[in-house]
Amino acid sequence: MNNIRNFSIIAHIDHGKSTLADRILEMTGMVRKTSMDQMLDNMDLERERGITIKAKAVRIPYRAVDGKEYILNLIDTPGHVDFSYEVSRSLKACEGAVLLVDATQGVEAQTIANANLAIDAGLKIIPVINKIDLPGAMLDDCALQLYTMLGLSIEDILHVSAKDGRGVADLLEAIVERIPSPSGEASDPLKCLIFDSFFDPYRGVIPHLRVFSGRIVAGDKIMLKSSGRIFEIEEVGYFSLGLAQSEQLQAGEVGYAVALIRNAGEIHVGDTVVAADHPEVAAVPGFRLSQSMVYCGIYPIITSDYAKLGAALDKFKLNDSSVVFEKENSAALGYGYRMGFLGMLHMEIALERLKREYEQDIIATMPSVIYRVICKDGEVLMLDNPSKFPPEGQIDRIEEPVIRTRIIVPSDYVGPCMELSDAKRGVLAGIEHPDDKRAILVYDLPLAEMITDFYDRLKSVSRGYASMDYEMNGYRTGDLVKVDILVNNGPVDALSYIAPREGAATRGRALIHKLSKTIPKHLFKIPLQAAIGSQIIAREDIFPRRKDVLAKCYGGDITRKRKLLEKQKEGKKKMKMVGFVEVPQEAFLSLMKIED
Amino acid sequence: MRGLYIHIPFCVSKCFYCDFYSVSEKLGLMDEYIDVLLAEADSCRGMDFSTLYLGGGTPSILGAERLEKLVIGLRRRFDLHDLQESTIEVNPESAGIDLLATAYRLGIGRVSIGIQSLNDGELKKSGRAHNRRQALETIDSALSSGYRNISADIMIGLPGQTAQSLGETLSVLTGAGINHVSAYCLSVEEGTAFYRCPPPDLPGEDEQASLFEYAVDILKTHGFVHYEISNLARPGSECLHNLNYWRGGEYLGLGPAAASHISGTRFRNSPNLERYLVDPLSDREGEEHLEDASKAGEEAMLRLRLVQEGLDMQKMNNKYGRNAIEGVEARPNKLVGRRSLAREGDVFRLQPAYVLISNSVFIDVIG
Repeated sequence: MNNIRNFSIIAHIDHGKSTLADRILEMTGMVRKTSMDQMLDNMDLERERGITIKAKAVRIPYRAVDGKEYILNLIDTPGHVDFSYEVSRSLKACEGAVLLVDATQGVEAQTIANANLAIDAGLKIIPVINKIDLPGAMLDDCALQLYTMLGLSIEDILHVSAKDGRGVADLLEAIVERIPSPSGEASDPLKCLIFDSFFDPYRGVIPHLRVFSGRIVAGDKIMLKSSGRIFEIEEVGYFSLGLAQSEQLQAGEVGYAVALIRNAGEIHVGDTVVAADHPEVAAVPGFRLSQSMVYCGIYPIITSDYAKLGAALDKFKLNDSSVVFEKENSAALGYGYRMGFLGMLHMEIALERLKREYEQDIIATMPSVIYRVICKDGEVLMLDNPSKFPPEGQIDRIEEPVIRTRIIVPSDYVGPCMELSDAKRGVLAGIEHPDDKRAILVYDLPLAEMITDFYDRLKSVSRGYASMDYEMNGYRTGDLVKVDILVNNGPVDALSYIAPREGAATRGRALIHKLSKTIPKHLFKIPLQAAIGSQIIAREDIFPRRKDVLAKCYGGDITRKRKLLEKQKEGKKKMKMVGFVEVPQEAFLSLMKIED
Repeated sequence: MRGLYIHIPFCVSKCFYCDFYSVSEKLGLMDEYIDVLLAEADSCRGMDFSTLYLGGGTPSILGAERLEKLVIGLRRRFDLHDLQESTIEVNPESAGIDLLATAYRLGIGRVSIGIQSLNDGELKKSGRAHNRRQALETIDSALSSGYRNISADIMIGLPGQTAQSLGETLSVLTGAGINHVSAYCLSVEEGTAFYRCPPPDLPGEDEQASLFEYAVDILKTHGFVHYEISNLARPGSECLHNLNYWRGGEYLGLGPAAASHISGTRFRNSPNLERYLVDPLSDREGEEHLEDASKAGEEAMLRLRLVQEGLDMQKMNNKYGRNAIEGVEARPNKLVGRRSLAREGDVFRLQPAYVLISNSVFIDVIG
């Protein structure tokens, strides 16, 4: 056990985590150079977006300069705030963390958030400045930031270029030297942490385990602490680049277990695994069920595809147990599902995967947070769907979830960022000045503002320099109203949304206007209205189409004409019929990005 | 009934709205072009045709001598004894009395003049190479050369065009002896000058629709029949060559970018003059042979363009057989319920209100 080092690499998004992991795998001989980019990111989508969605692990044999053989377990972590709970569980499985900072960007909001998670987990931190090959590298500034903002010693900082491999050998040595080996006795009763899992169609859910004490072999009966459920272990092993079966997993080690767990809902990241005959062993602290923060409705474009969508969701859930869904019924869109996600990014990725990997033609409605509606009769409703709100007259008040966000921003952009936060109903909770170049703004902000376009706007008002991180911070009362959207005189429940009363009309107008540009002209006039209760706050009409864009058919090139018509017909299939109006998919989701 | 289309891809200059295949810098290649085109014709030697159509580009840019060489060359290679109609497209700037008289003498009895407008401002803003005076002179030249079948191309939606200017253009033209009008709505296509730099006074979609309807009304009061979506004619002066396209007929197209429809197969030459000149036979693209049901759907869509004649299910049945036209009958029947088509006996017709929005009808017809 003395030769094991369990560690993660943590960083702000795009600071080079995956590239560093690749380089480590290459330099330790795990993979040949140029064999495949970014081994740890499995899913196409992850690579496209440059982020790691699900944690993965790899066991790396390494011969150090001292001549001894070591086992390095690299546990990859997701790099986005939506997944901070998953990050914290991955860190819990480690004794150390490599904190990576992009030399051209410096410490950013998620650098701090991740570093704090690592510090909370009691990890040894190795600060590393990456991308030193780039001309804009600011080594001294970064070092100073690591010191002032995170209290890390400047002399501990390593310099690497994950791209060309410079400094990576020293980093490997530092991992061996500085990170403590795991403690815990193989002879004690079993205690493991589940830090991730994936679904194998033949072998069921395969949890990723960090063993803290005891050992686990095939044939053992294990118990899940949170549910008391008992399973028999069929196989254990390590993470090589694939799964490598082994005789046992013991204290200090990281690996997987196969136990024919059919239902992904059984396995929760953060849960503790103990031996069935030692149920008294205490759980690893900090477990909680992942909590959905953002909800939206999803509906099949073609109503009869409802059953197909349900089957796809069941399959999807096996892969990503952090989504939740239940049946929902919309007067406008028919049968569909209400889906809950950890955050906006999680939602975008999940919807994209449903479309691409699960080949579902769906429309998603505007995302919503969970409102706490206190009725005049004292009843308290937790509602994630605006169309389920009681009539205004029955509502005493509405409370909405609030986040505490930390925005790191260069001093020059403090003004615009504060203006934006104020406009988004933020309440300033503090300003810190870690150095003379940057400020940290701490705001309490309605989550609803966050999930619309706050982050995009923040990036734009700060020319891309601001970074942010957030955590949930309870509920607060807001002067909120429900706005209904009427298309062709019929309310479209899937377009209803909750908005602050102040500015509701302005926003309604902007939304109606956007809708008028998204819904194509029809052969008849389509009135679009926004209403609070029975009061119309905005109206715009889509006038009838009087002429096709391509009316000519000249020169005998009939094939071209027919293909254009077929293309148009395909486009029509992507529309959802709402009453007699064809509404394109984009209409529903694009509405959340409304410029005020 | 089979048509022969000859594409002449040369123009003195490119009009700002034009996305047809034409070149304006390589006029020196015209002689070579005639030779190569006749070589392409050699590959189909002996075919017979009922209509001949010289289109472009600008066929009149060839001049009398080359035109003569071309037409005589075609007569040697094809059986043109039963020609019922032959047309040449001309533009006013290159259609002198010499050219028109030669064309008429060669047996080309119909001329289609690219007038577009009689308003000099509109012509100039659209990059046309002629003016009102030249357009009217061309009509006179055609008449004095013996032409009685004269068509004018009119563009709806030119920059600065108004109902008044359009009305004036049409009244003058109908008075000057025109018996056929092709009225095309200007659309801003990728790759055109208007696409790169749209003029500020380009009429919008709704305005264009109004202008089009106005044009149709004026022409109707002058005795024209709206026989195809974009074409109007005095009774008996409809363009047979184009009617053949819309009736699903056969045609052979020669020259780059020319489309053909032979024995149920559609294909076209690539729009590339250089490659065509190197080898006119090796550059075909988009060959397509549809199965009967799709073919019938396509023909139904084409026939519905013929606003008066309509889609005659009896004719479709004779041509494709009952099985293939099942869908073709069922789909239009549904549209009758939605009032975009009317049915009279075996004939479906596009309703007047849907002429400009026919695509929405056609996508439900093609299946």
